[in-house]
Amino acid sequence: MEKVIDMCKRVEGHGNVKIFIKNEKISNINFQLNIFRGFEKILKQKILIDIPRIASRICGLCHASQNIVSCKAIESIYNISPHENTILLRRILMIGELIKSHSLHLFFQSLPDLLYISKNLPNIPSLPELSQFDNQLTNKFFELIKIGNDIDRLFGGRAIHLITNIPGGHFLQNSEKNIKIARKYFQKALENINYIIEKFINLFKKLTPPKLFQIPNPIFMSLHNNESFDRYDGDLIINYNNENKIEFLLENYSKYFNKDPELPGINFSNEEIVVVGPISRYNIMKNSISEELKARINHFSNAWEKSILFSNFLKLIEMNIEVNQGIEIINNPILKKKSVPLILKNIQKLNGFGVVEAPRGILIHHYKLNENHKIEDIKLFVATEINIPIINEMLLKFSKDLYDMTGDIELIKQKAQMVIRAFDPCISCATH
Amino acid sequence: MKYKLSITSLTSCSGCISSLFSLDIFPQFLERIDIVYFPFLSDNTKIEEHDIALVEGCVSRKQHINQLKNIRKNAKKIYALGTCAAYGGIVSLNKTKNIEAISKYIEIDGIIPGCPPPSNLLGDCLIRIIENKKIILSQKNLCFDCPLRETSPIKLDIKLKSLYLDMNKKVKKNEELNCFLNEGVLCLGPITREGCECICIKEMIPCEGCMGPISKDFTSNIINFLGILDLSEDIKDYEGLFFRFSKPKIKR
Repeated sequence: MEKVIDMCKRVEGHGNVKIFIKNEKISNINFQLNIFRGFEKILKQKILIDIPRIASRICGLCHASQNIVSCKAIESIYNISPHENTILLRRILMIGELIKSHSLHLFFQSLPDLLYISKNLPNIPSLPELSQFDNQLTNKFFELIKIGNDIDRLFGGRAIHLITNIPGGHFLQNSEKNIKIARKYFQKALENINYIIEKFINLFKKLTPPKLFQIPNPIFMSLHNNESFDRYDGDLIINYNNENKIEFLLENYSKYFNKDPELPGINFSNEEIVVVGPISRYNIMKNSISEELKARINHFSNAWEKSILFSNFLKLIEMNIEVNQGIEIINNPILKKKSVPLILKNIQKLNGFGVVEAPRGILIHHYKLNENHKIEDIKLFVATEINIPIINEMLLKFSKDLYDMTGDIELIKQKAQMVIRAFDPCISCATH
Repeated sequence: MKYKLSITSLTSCSGCISSLFSLDIFPQFLERIDIVYFPFLSDNTKIEEHDIALVEGCVSRKQHINQLKNIRKNAKKIYALGTCAAYGGIVSLNKTKNIEAISKYIEIDGIIPGCPPPSNLLGDCLIRIIENKKIILSQKNLCFDCPLRETSPIKLDIKLKSLYLDMNKKVKKNEELNCFLNEGVLCLGPITREGCECICIKEMIPCEGCMGPISKDFTSNIINFLGILDLSEDIKDYEGLFFRFSKPKIKR
């Protein structure tokens, strides 16, 4: 058997595509992650209050989500809910993170592939070619990356690995000046996002998404708040198809999926292959989307609905939704109220659960304490880990036939990389 | 002339890369260099001869050592980007892994510390690098820059009780903020390099040492520091406070 290993390019972190060839046929193809840093082990030895700032270091892109979900898990152990202004602050931090993370992926990692596919270019555009493709578009993306970063700096104390948010509340007093600056940032972000949405519609609406990006029989999972868009609060839902849905409380997650912290991968009880991320959020909450945004989505034919390439456009749509939410939060007088973090006094529960929708999908932290209140077990459920089986299924599906037809391994490598990139894997999170 | 530049990530969270993308000067920086290797945004997988290499992340696999040697062979200057590359970083808290700073395996030309490096420092360092100037880091500790130093100089007999300040008490009493150590809260300012503009302290969070040590002999610094501290039993038994971001030379 021959093994071909190709390093993943234009993704966050280190991954490989491993292709197995037997008797001149592809017998298997996998998206593989090689490094495991052991954060579950590291965190197990820590005291609860110390965990969020270490957990943040799992990922420099999803750091706010990691920090916030950790605080939520700890708050559930103490059975406390932070003040409303802390929740507003956390929502802003997650919006800043989303703007930056989505913009980075869309511009540097995804747009070259989309241009290559839609314009029949001879090569995937290089960075200088990409930057010069449309100067205005490039500037708008750079501005968005900076805005997302600066919003988190204003409210998180630092732009990456926040310091203000802690279990029970936050330290930052939301000054009038910060709020004014943030309002300007959000308004500018909205302007840029709307520009890019129109640009994407014009560039790609006529494209028929290639079959290899089609998600076979998608089962979507996301957080939802009465089926409306909410990445901070709500219950979990698995949508098998629109008629068959299961809603469940976070505390009951192990009925549906679980993991061994010593091993990579998340196992679903009925071996379902589940998709998380923007495409799942959209499919679960599409009825709550405004008519204005629906009209923009309707520029794309039905063929896009189950294509992972559609995630790119949906990212812009959810950036629009979130920035509008951000503007509402900034105008909410509760944000200005002064508060101090609640005291973590008495442990009330031996199991703490936290969930948020990180930019790339569901993120769950589960901390289990023993009777002496020492941490016994930590489980972290990360979106990219959930998506790996569907990525592998899609890789195998297209590559076997294509290799039989062409025998061109370079072509298989290139297409495999594109499918992986379309999922926007967060390898840092997945290699926690 | 445009410098040829590579950016390599070893074991990391990509936070240093994320900081780089958010710099005010990033678009201009891109215009002034030719990227020869940077898998985050380029398809090139081969490292050929070039001028400047930035390496982020710590060494956690044998493959990383070969990668580093290859970079050393091909790059005129190599800089460790961030505290993981410079000192081992937070993953070194995992005792089951052999984590090292990159300078354990190759000679380097400088470091840009921080978890992640503060944007002003990172921007300044990058400008110096592409102007072929040496990176200059402060040799002073964080206390030198600390806004609390003048109002509350460190005492020499400190009883440390906690890792966080009790904000409720402070706010209720409407008290001014004192030096954390004088309040009985562990702050690593005395043994940490300045350069972060005390952002944590300004938000009432004590320093946890992410900028790394001031001098190479970090262990001696810690021993001297411990000489003025009376640690509570809880803090004494708690691992990974002093060496959270900088891997100790001795085994944990």
